[in-house]
Amino acid sequence: MTKHLIGLGVLLAVGMAYPAIFPNNLTIAISVLLFAGWATSWDLLGGWNGQVSLGHASFVGLGAYFVAIGEGQFGLAPWWTMAMAAAVAAVLAYFWGWLTFSLRGPYFSLSTIAVAEILRLVAINEEWLSGGATGVFIATLPEPFGIDLFSRTAQFYMALAFATVVIATVIVISRVRFGYQLRAVREDEDSAMAAGIDPTATKLKAFMLSAALTSIGGGIYGIVLAFIEPHVIFALLLSVQIALTAIIGGRGTIWGPAVGAIVLIGAGEMFRTTFAEANMLIYGILILVVVLFVPRGIVGELARRHIRRLYAKRAQG
Amino acid sequence: MAGLDIFLQNIANGVLMGGVYALIGIGLTLVFGVMRTINFAHGDFVVLGMYSAVLFNALLGWDPYLSLLLAMPIGFFAGVIVERFILSRVIDAPPESALLATLGISLIIGNAILLTFGGEPRSVQVSYASSTFSIAGVNVSMVLLLAGIATVIMIAALYALLNRTEVGRAIRGTAENRLGAELVGIDTRRIHSIVFGLGVMLAVMAGVTLIPLLFATPTNTGAVFTLKAFVVTVLGGLGNVGAAIAGGILLGVVEVLGASYFMSEYREAYGLIAFLLILLFRPEGLLGRTVKRV
Repeated sequence: MTKHLIGLGVLLAVGMAYPAIFPNNLTIAISVLLFAGWATSWDLLGGWNGQVSLGHASFVGLGAYFVAIGEGQFGLAPWWTMAMAAAVAAVLAYFWGWLTFSLRGPYFSLSTIAVAEILRLVAINEEWLSGGATGVFIATLPEPFGIDLFSRTAQFYMALAFATVVIATVIVISRVRFGYQLRAVREDEDSAMAAGIDPTATKLKAFMLSAALTSIGGGIYGIVLAFIEPHVIFALLLSVQIALTAIIGGRGTIWGPAVGAIVLIGAGEMFRTTFAEANMLIYGILILVVVLFVPRGIVGELARRHIRRLYAKRAQG
Repeated sequence: MAGLDIFLQNIANGVLMGGVYALIGIGLTLVFGVMRTINFAHGDFVVLGMYSAVLFNALLGWDPYLSLLLAMPIGFFAGVIVERFILSRVIDAPPESALLATLGISLIIGNAILLTFGGEPRSVQVSYASSTFSIAGVNVSMVLLLAGIATVIMIAALYALLNRTEVGRAIRGTAENRLGAELVGIDTRRIHSIVFGLGVMLAVMAGVTLIPLLFATPTNTGAVFTLKAFVVTVLGGLGNVGAAIAGGILLGVVEVLGASYFMSEYREAYGLIAFLLILLFRPEGLLGRTVKRV
C-alpha cells in the first residue's frame, strides 16, 4: 500500500508541474484526469466488486447539474453543490442498488441502462428543474482566493485533485477489510455469504462510494464544460466510455483505469482528424482486442507477467 | 363515445407498434435462448438493415421490401462471420466477456456507418409511407401493418424451422443443454453460427421493414433499438421466441396508452419502468415458464 501511495505522490508532484511545462495542452490533460477518476470510481463497483454498471453517466450528470443549478439559481459555490451532489448520488445509488442488486450478471447491467435512461428523460423533460433539453449555462463562478475557476489551469488542478483522491481511496480500500469483502463477493457470492459477508450490503456500499466519487468528477466536468446539455452528459455512450476505459486498462487493478484513460483519450486525440466524430470506433476495436486476447486488461496482463517472472526467478533459486 | 374511439385507436396503434418491436425482439431472444449471450449489437444490426435499404434504393432504385431479398442473406452471412471470428472465441469465458464483445461490435458498426454515410438522418421515400386506411373507424398505418405482417410471417417461419426441421431440433437441443447436444452428435459450434446468423438476419429484416417509417441515424438509433429489444424480450421472457410477440405488443400498448393518458413526453420511460418491474418481480418474463435466474 505504501508503495502505491508513494507512486501516487510522485505522479501528483509531476502533475503539479504539468501546466508549467505544457500550458497549451491542458484540455486533453483535464479529459484524461476526469476519465481516470471516473473509471477508477467505476472500477470500485465494476472491477473490485464485479458488478458491470452501464449507467455511470447518471452520476456525472448529477454532479454537473448540481453545480450549474446551484450556482445559477441559488448562488451556491461549487464546492458546496459538489458535496451535495455526492450525498445525493450516494442516496440515489442506495435506492438504485436496492432495486437492482437482486439481479445478477447481464440482468444487472441491463437494469442500469434502464434506470439511467429514465433519469435522462427526467433531465430532458423537467424544465423547471434542469433547464430541459436545451441545457443550463454556468455564467458566473465565485473566485476563492482570487482563483478564476473558468481558467483551464484551475480546472486542471481540480481534475488532478479529483483523480488523486479517487486513486488514493482505491489504494486504501484494496488493503482494508472492505476491499477483501468486495473481492470475495465478486469471486463467489455464495461462498462470501458462507464466510459471513453480506453480499448485498457490500455491493450497496461499493455502489454508493462509486456514485459519490463519480458525481464529484461530474461537478468538475460541469465547470469545464460551462454549458450542460442532457443528451451529452446523460448519454449511454458516456456510461459505456467510462466502463470501457476501466475494462481496457484492467479491471480490479489500482492503476488500470488510469492507464486506460491515458491510452483511450490519447488514441482518441491521435485519430481525431481521421475518424472525426466516429471516435468511439477506437473503443470498439480496443474492447474486442482486450476481450479476445488480453482479458485482464493492460495493467492486469502486465501484473500477471510480472508475477510469473517473479515465480520463475524464485524457482530457479 | 369519443372516449372509446380514442381508446380503440390507441390500442390499435399500440398493437401495430408492438408488432415492430416484436420483430426487433425475436432475433435477440433467439440468440439469447441458444447462446446465453445478450447481443448488445442487435440494435446496430437493425440500423445496418436500414442503411442497406437506403443503399440499395440509392444504387439500384429498389423498393425497401424488394431489397429484403438481398439484405436478408447478406445479414445471415455477416452474422455467421461475426460469430465464427469473435463470439465463438469467448463462449467459454465469463459471461460478461461475450457481452463486452458484442458491445465492441456495436460501437464498431455504429461508428463505421457514421464514417461511411455521415451523421445526417437518412430515409427512403416511398409513395405509401404515410397512407392509412380505416377499419371500423380505426385508422391503420400501411407501413406498420406491413411490418406487422412481416412479423407474423417471420415468427411462423421460425416456428416451422425450430419445430419441423432437423436443424431446428439441433437448435432446440443446443438451447436446452449444450453438452448433452454435443454428446448426441450435434455440432454446437455450427448451431451457434447459424443461430447468430439468423439473429442478425432478423435484425436486418426489421431495419429494412422500418425504413419507410423511421429515419436512420448512425449511432443513437442503434442503442435505442437494442434497449427496445431488451425490453421486449424481458417482458415476454428471455429466450422464448413466441413470447417476444406478447412482449412487443405489451410494450407498444404500454407506451401508447401511457403517452396518451399520462405525460406524453415520458413515452419512452413507460416501457422502461415496465421492464424494471418485470425484472424485479418476474425475471422469467410474463410468459416464461422456467425460472432461470442468471
